Order: sequence, then structure tokens, then C-alpha cells
Amino acid sequence: MSALKNKNCNYISNKEIKITFDGRSYSAYEGDTIASALLRNNIRLIGRSFKYHRPRGIYTCGIEEPNALVQILNEHNEPNTRATIKRAYEGINICSQNRWPSLSFDIGSINNILSPIFSAGFYYKTFMGPKGFWKKIYEPLIRRTAGLGKPPKNFRSKSIHQNHNVDILIVGGGLSGLLAARKLIDTDKQVLLVEQDSFLGGILNNSNKVKKIDGKNTFEWIQETEKLILKSNNIKILKNTLVTTYNFTNHLIALEDKFSGKKIDINKSELTLHKIRTTHTILANGHIERFISFRNNDLPGVMLASSFEKYIERYGVVPDEKPAIFTNNSSTISLVKSLINLNCKPCAYIDSRKKEDIEDETKEYLIKNNIPFYPESEVEGCEGNKKVEKVFIRNNSNKISSINSSMLCPSGGFNPDIHLFTQSKGLVKWDEKINSFKPDTAFQNTITLGSVSGNYEFKNLCEEINKKLSFLKVKDLNPEIETNIRDDFSIEELWETKTDKTSKWAKSFIDLHNDVTTKDLKQAINEGYDRIEHLKRYTTNSMGTDQGKISSINSLGIVSKILNKKISEVGTTTYRPPYAPLSFAAIAGRSTYEYYDPERKTPIHNWHIKNNAVFEDVGQWKRPWYFKKHETETMHQAVQRESKQTRRSAGILDGSTLGKIEIKGKDALEFMNLMYTNAFTKMKPMTSRYALMLGEDGMIMDDGIICKINDKHFIATTTSGGAPKVFAHMEEFLQTEWPHLQVYLNSITEQFTTFNISGPRTREIMRKVFTDIDFNNEKFPFMTFKTFNYKNTEARIMRASFTGELGYEIYISPQYALELWELIFKHGKDFDLVPYGTETMHLLRAEKGYVVIGQETDGTVTPIDINFNWMIGKKKKDFIGKRSLTRSDTVRDDRKQLVGIIPLNKSQFIEEGQHVVECENLPNKIKTPVEYLGHISSSYHSPNLNHCISMAMVKGGNKLMGKKLFVSTPKGTKNIPVEIVNPVFIDPENKRLTS
Amino acid sequence: MILINCPYCGEREQSEFTNGGEAHVIRPKDPDILNDKDWGQYVFYRSNPKGIFYERWVHTHGCRKWFNVVRDTSTDTILKIYKLTDNKPDISEFQSTLKSPSGEPIVGSGNFAVKK
Repeated sequence: MSALKNKNCNYISNKEIKITFDGRSYSAYEGDTIASALLRNNIRLIGRSFKYHRPRGIYTCGIEEPNALVQILNEHNEPNTRATIKRAYEGINICSQNRWPSLSFDIGSINNILSPIFSAGFYYKTFMGPKGFWKKIYEPLIRRTAGLGKPPKNFRSKSIHQNHNVDILIVGGGLSGLLAARKLIDTDKQVLLVEQDSFLGGILNNSNKVKKIDGKNTFEWIQETEKLILKSNNIKILKNTLVTTYNFTNHLIALEDKFSGKKIDINKSELTLHKIRTTHTILANGHIERFISFRNNDLPGVMLASSFEKYIERYGVVPDEKPAIFTNNSSTISLVKSLINLNCKPCAYIDSRKKEDIEDETKEYLIKNNIPFYPESEVEGCEGNKKVEKVFIRNNSNKISSINSSMLCPSGGFNPDIHLFTQSKGLVKWDEKINSFKPDTAFQNTITLGSVSGNYEFKNLCEEINKKLSFLKVKDLNPEIETNIRDDFSIEELWETKTDKTSKWAKSFIDLHNDVTTKDLKQAINEGYDRIEHLKRYTTNSMGTDQGKISSINSLGIVSKILNKKISEVGTTTYRPPYAPLSFAAIAGRSTYEYYDPERKTPIHNWHIKNNAVFEDVGQWKRPWYFKKHETETMHQAVQRESKQTRRSAGILDGSTLGKIEIKGKDALEFMNLMYTNAFTKMKPMTSRYALMLGEDGMIMDDGIICKINDKHFIATTTSGGAPKVFAHMEEFLQTEWPHLQVYLNSITEQFTTFNISGPRTREIMRKVFTDIDFNNEKFPFMTFKTFNYKNTEARIMRASFTGELGYEIYISPQYALELWELIFKHGKDFDLVPYGTETMHLLRAEKGYVVIGQETDGTVTPIDINFNWMIGKKKKDFIGKRSLTRSDTVRDDRKQLVGIIPLNKSQFIEEGQHVVECENLPNKIKTPVEYLGHISSSYHSPNLNHCISMAMVKGGNKLMGKKLFVSTPKGTKNIPVEIVNPVFIDPENKRLTS
Repeated sequence: MILINCPYCGEREQSEFTNGGEAHVIRPKDPDILNDKDWGQYVFYRSNPKGIFYERWVHTHGCRKWFNVVRDTSTDTILKIYKLTDNKPDISEFQSTLKSPSGEPIVGSGNFAVKK
């Protein structure tokens, strides 16, 4: 450590810590940020810039930093961390970004020489061809050289969300925020004070502008205020917390870093996302200093004046003993005073204002301390090898002189930090006195205090706060604020300085983060992008991670000059949340990995695992996809085996995920008639029926089997994924359209575990398992059900099938489900019973021509389209979607209709999703589109027919039976010749089903 | 995220609710007598105003009850919440309270410099 230390600094302890930067170890103090630690070790070069790979250093001392972004290797390998706010701790391991092979020698900096092709809009102009070059050459190249840090791998951070409901939120614990808080101590208002730093005090810590408050020195006053607040019972303080978002209805989001200045404990949550609801928001979030564009204003060693002062006052590090200072306003003199207090002396004080406009106190102070003073002058530029070495000064007679200096501190004035205010939809206006935008009309209950409201003068501060908070009817406070500098703010407009030199190297930047130069702005305007929102996107100005905090108003100034308009006419771009980058981990909170979405498991789940099931996600459900008989069995082999065995003997499927809804009440029959297409009136009790549910547009929404116990009691099943939707749909119509119907709905999906057992030998197994029940075809025919008592629980067996074979569905209480499942297997062994999964279920139903809602249908399919006319209760006066089935569009006979498709060459396989076309070969270069007739919705290799079977939705399909067509393939231009057939491939007479 | 005051449960986070689109669209009593155009109007057409909007919400992760809301779509301010059985409040009740982001035009948004 060699840089000077300010012994008076209260926030840096004497405890030494070791940090590592680019593999080398350095000493720092506890309380340092990475930036102050590096400056303490005289490190100026921190990284390479985004586009031109120019050397960059530390430009600021806070959240506004555009340059000093580093990667933290020892945490989650977190890239793009601002060195100026990330606090260092013992053992932190940091590396620089966007350089190769090393920071001081970087091959990418050749981009700086090639910069003419990287000018405004270059993404839009270059890389236009030849075809294929983008994917293979340009993009990988750009990704390697342009950019920031490396994304972390195996990222796993923890964060939690916390809610607050308060009367008043104070954003910012600086002087204004603390004064407001002091007024609110021990009132009946619940107050939350949010401060981004680890200490309260803001400007009081960051500069020496304020000498004393109420006769106490500033540090004492802050301590006293914090004590008073902590003692009060109505104000809570959140430190290390940054408000990023200001939404409608006074809802704000703030992010707390819980390990600021400490090594992260991976067992604890690192971040808390605070969701704050408040009645009134007091914004006291201060101001941000802006820079000035001049030649090479990005060289390491250029640092904003107030940031330089903050390093001295807040971090006790003096980055340079003899900096040159360049300003256009009255406040920069406090930096000179900070330096003089430490026996340092600026090598030049360059003020662009006219001599007579500069405060007498400033002039006297400079002369008294013998500081070279350049009034009415500006910095033309600076030069040096990876650091500032020479500063060029143009005086009022246009003569340029140069001085040697290793640091240059520009100050282009201050912007009220209006980001949050405009996020809240408040309107801002241009203020000539401070030469910036300031809040004007608030849209919500928002109060701005202090410098964010455009008030830079301490003498008016208490009056402003008392006045703006008078509506709260709290006591007035009038502490005396004693300042070190003259308190009147004056500024001269200055956005960029003139330059004479034009070398490839010389650039005058307007956006340091995205490497946008003032030349780019001019070029973009010449090309017609003269609206500020267009200009921003075309040049990428202020689109970096810093969002142009130190530069965006400057670009408005430059643009207004070029367009010869007032800045207020140019307007600002829209400020959008977040104020500063917010990690996705923080937003996700606890909803990550296994907690992202609940997993639903059936009571048979563990048995499936033991029997080598491979699972498929169906909504939140885990369902067996297929069962692996041995390690090397592929999915295809397993599915072929399961399907064959089911048709030959018997198979069983865990159907517990099937949605089940109980419908009860006086008007249940009428309700069911309205909800489903089918007619339930004449249906006999204790029978069941396959039913369709439509949307009001006539399109199929869901299907299921309805069991009618009697006219006042039905049980409906739904598809596994559709259960919540169907239930909500029923509830909606009951509440909104037919509140007069006395019907009660109950979801019983999880109250009954369901097994679907089917195959020619099923009856024999059922007889063994349920010895009391008569399974004779006459006594227990197809589409009937029986309820019975199973160990004092209600159980139900329904004769139904989704495979086309003889089948039963067993509904049983979950507590006995597993033992019954095992009992079935005990008896089933003698009858060659096989467990099968969803893939086999799909194959078997396709062989039988049964549709799956969501596979054959896609929300544009009516029952008529899939030949389900027989399911429509045409005699019913009304049901949901009925009228839509006779709309001119739904009765067209060239709509896509369900057909079966088989390849002419039985060895060929048709892929799902392929198109049905008329031509044998696709033209090699497709100039004219090939007419599309339909698409393949399901396709399987049928083990029972030993060839491919497909279902397809084809335009006017009903009329195409027997016709030869073609189906495209994923590769090549040769289509597969196919025949359109009836989609029922197995047992079209339903003999197996009903016997 | 807005807060919604469910008439049955009280004020809750928006995430507990589901929006159900425009309110006061009544299902025709006798759909069969409607021509395609009128039926299509009921099935497919909904208004989408900037400003006062009568809409339905359901407290999905709560009491599962449907109710009506009058909301200013340009600011998400909820102007009134009432039960399905209550009468539709007249639009004149809200027009005087209507507030939009300062200087914002009636249609569209954009750069506030041109919002005059």
C-alpha cells in the first residue's frame, strides 16, 4: 500500500486484509471497496472496454460506475461486479474482464484501430451476408471479443423475499433522508428508511462540504441520529439495500446484500428482495455527478471530481496527490479543500466559467494556496500510455498548452437522480439553474427532498423538508447546517470540448460502458435517427449496465445542440426498472430448482421406482413413461414389449393423475347437460359415458368419462393436465352465468387412486382380486360401473378402456392403493400381467384411433372435425359451444379432419409433426411454397400390426379416404408415399371392447 | 403487482387472483336465434380501453369467488370492487377521479417531450 491515507476517515478500520487481483495479492483495509483497495495499491488499469478494448480504470465511486467491472472468482464466479460498490474482504479473489491474453496486453484492442467499422449502427450495417456467416463466423467471433465477464457455471445462490407494509418509505439515508427521519421519530407513522451503503450519512461522509450540523461535527450528528432512530419504535433502517424499482400503487422493490464486506456463507441466503408497499414515498436518493466529453476522456486516471473527493473522505485513500481538476460549476472547490487539508495540491484548476462568474471565495482560495488556475479554459484532451500523462488545456484565446499530470478530475455538473421518480410516472422538467432535469409533477404520493429535487443548497434544505412534509403534521426541525464552501450553486452549460486532433486512437466518449463516442451521435443524427429513443437504440448509447448514469443527460445536451433544439424539447429516454442490475437469483427467491414447481406423485410412485420406471412430467405430475425390464432395454423396445403384452394378455397403468370432479346437487343433471356436449337426461343410473367439453367457440377443451350415479350425482374425469382448468371452468359458469343452479363441485383427484387394467385376460385377474364381484359380461357390461366397500372405504370399478381391449378402471382410496396394486400383481403373474407407462398408453390408444386432447386437438378442432358428431346432443336446447358448431366457419367441409395414415412401404416410418402434401418430391430450392394439406399428430410403430400407424389432421380428410398422398420427412426432399385410411387400426367393430 | 380487495376475504396480492376479462358480457339466453355475427360478437369481441375498464377477477388461490372490478388500465388503479350480484356502477362515478401519468395522451405513450 502506498497511496496516501486520510487519517481522519471514520469508516475504514485499521484491520488489514489481503485481496487478490488478477492473481496477485494486495493489502487493503476492512471497509474498503474493491476500487478503493486497488487505488490504495496504485492500480489504475482495471479492465478493457466493451467494444474497442481500450484500457479503462476507475471512473467513479459508486453505483454509476461504467468502467471498473470485475469478476469475483471466489463467490459464484459473478461477472460484471462494480468494483466501486462491492466491498472487499479477507481472501476475495478478483479478476479483470474482457481482455486476452492479459490486462496490459490485449489483442482485442485492435478493434480500436478498426473502429471505423464499429461506428453507430454497425450491428445493423455489417454482417449482412453471405448467408450462414452470421451463425458460424460473426456471432462466435463477436461473442468472444465483445462483451463483459464470463457467466458463472453451476450457479446456485440463495435469496428470500420479504414484504413490508409501511406508511412512509424513505429512500436514501443521506442528509435529507436523515432529516426527514428525525422529523418522524416517535410519530404514529410506520417508517422504513432504506440506504444503499453500509453507513448512513451520504454526502456527509462523501465530501467535506458540510462542516457542522447543530454545532456537532457530521460524524457525531450521524451517530446521534442513528441512535435516535434505533431508539424510536416506528422507524426501521435497512442498510446495504438498494431500491431498484418503483411501481404503480406505491409498490417498491429493494434488494439487500446481506454479506456486504463479508465472505458469503453458502448455507445462508445472500440476498433479500424487499417488496415494500407504502402510502407515501420520500425520495431522498440524491444526485449523480456527470462527466464531460473530451478527447480520450476514458483514459485510466480520469475520475469524476466528487468521486475523487469521496475516496478521500469516505475511504481515506488519496488516489493522486496532484490531480488536475476540470469543472464547469461551483461545487468542485470542495475537492481542492479536501486535498489541501491533507497537504496535497492540485496541479491545475481548470474552470470553464468566465472569470467574473467564478465565486470570489474560490478565486481567493486558489490564489492563497498557490494553485495554477485556468479560468475560461477547458480540457481539450489527455494523452498517455494506458494512463493519463499529459493534459491539454485550451484557454479563452484558443491556445492550447499542456501540463503533466497523472490524474484528471472532471465535473460536468450534477443530475438529480430522477430514475426512481420517473419510474413512478412522475413528470420531470428542465431547470436552467442546475442545468439538468428535476422532478416536477409527482404522479403518486411521492415527495422528493434535497438534491434529487434539484435543491443543491444546504441553506434551503430544512425549509424545503419542513414545507414538503408539513401535510404529515409533524414538528418542524431547523438544525443549523454549517458548510465549508460557499453554498450557492452555479454552473455553465458544457457537454463536450472542442478537439483539433483526429487520430484513430483519439476518441471523445459519450458512453464509456458501451464505447459510444460523440462522433457516433452525430453520425446517427446525420443518418436520420434524430429522435432520442431511436438514437439511443441505434448507437446503444446509455444501454450498458450503468444505464448511462453519468452521461445520458450529456448526450441529450449534445443532441440538442446538433438539432438546434432545447433539451426539454429533445426529452429524455424512458427510465425503466431496475435502477441498477438485479440478479435473477434475487427475483426467483425460493422458487428455484426443486422448489420451482411442486412435484406431484401418485401413491404407487415408490413401486414404480423399484420397478425401473422412467418418469415423464405431465403438468406437475410424475408419471411412469415406460418400465425398463433390463439395463440395456431402449424406450422403443420397452414400449413395443409393453404394448404387445397388453394386447396378448393384460397390462396395467397407474392412472391416478386423472382429474376427478364430483358434481352433486338438485340441478346437477341440468348443469352437466350445459357443460358437456353429450345428453345425460336419458342416460341410465350407474352407467358411464365418454364426454366432450367445448369452449364457447365450439373447440374441444377437454374430454373424460362421466359416471352417472343418479340425476343429482355425477362423477366426471378429466385429462391429467386439464383438471384444474376444467374445475375452474365449471365454477366460473356456476357463479357467473347460472347462479340459480344448485350444484356443488368437489375436486376428488387425490381422494381416489386409479388403475387402468386392460387386455384379454383382465377379467380372469379381476375375478381373482375382487372375489365378491360378478365380472360376467352380461352382469358387468361395457360402460357401466359398480361401487363397493373396500376395507370400509368407498371404491368403484368401471368397465371402460383407453386401449380398445377389455378393460376396467379401479378407483380406490389412496391408503389402500399400494396394497391393492401389489395384490393385483400377485394374481396377475399367472396371467402375464405387465405394468405399462404413458408411452404405451399413447401407442395403444392410437392403434384404436382414440384421440388425445392436446395432441390431435390444438384448440382449433371441433367435435365434427374428429368425427365425434355422435357425441353432440343435438336435441339439447343449449350447451357451451353449441351455437358455434353451426357457424359458417365450423361447418366448412374443407376443415382439417382426423384421418389415419399408413405408409405404402410398410418398412417406412412417419415422424410426428411432418406435413401431409400432394407432391412426391419437395423442390430442391423452395421458391414457391408447397401446398400444405395437414400435419401428422401422432405416429407410432404398431407392434401388433408391425408397421407404422399415424393419425393426422388433413384438410377435407373425410373425403380423402383411400387416397394416395405424401408425408414430408425431417431430412431430404423425398417424401414418403402414404395412404389415407380410417383412423381405427385395430378392432373397428369394438368386439374386444364389449365382449 | 397490485393489491386487490377481495369482497369476501379482504386485501390480497394480485398473484392470488386471476383476471377474467371484461365484465358484464352476458351469455345470450337463446343462442340459437342469434345470427353468426351476433354470436361471434359475444364469443370473440371484447373491449380494450385505455382508462376505465369493467372487468372480472377470481380469487383463485383463496375463496375461488368471482367478482367485478373497475380498473383504470393506464395506471392499474382499482376504482371499485363489487360483487356479481351488485349493480354495474355508472361510469360517471369514476371519470372525475381519473388520473393518468402526467401529460400522457389519451392513446399511446411515448417520449414525454411529445406528450403535450
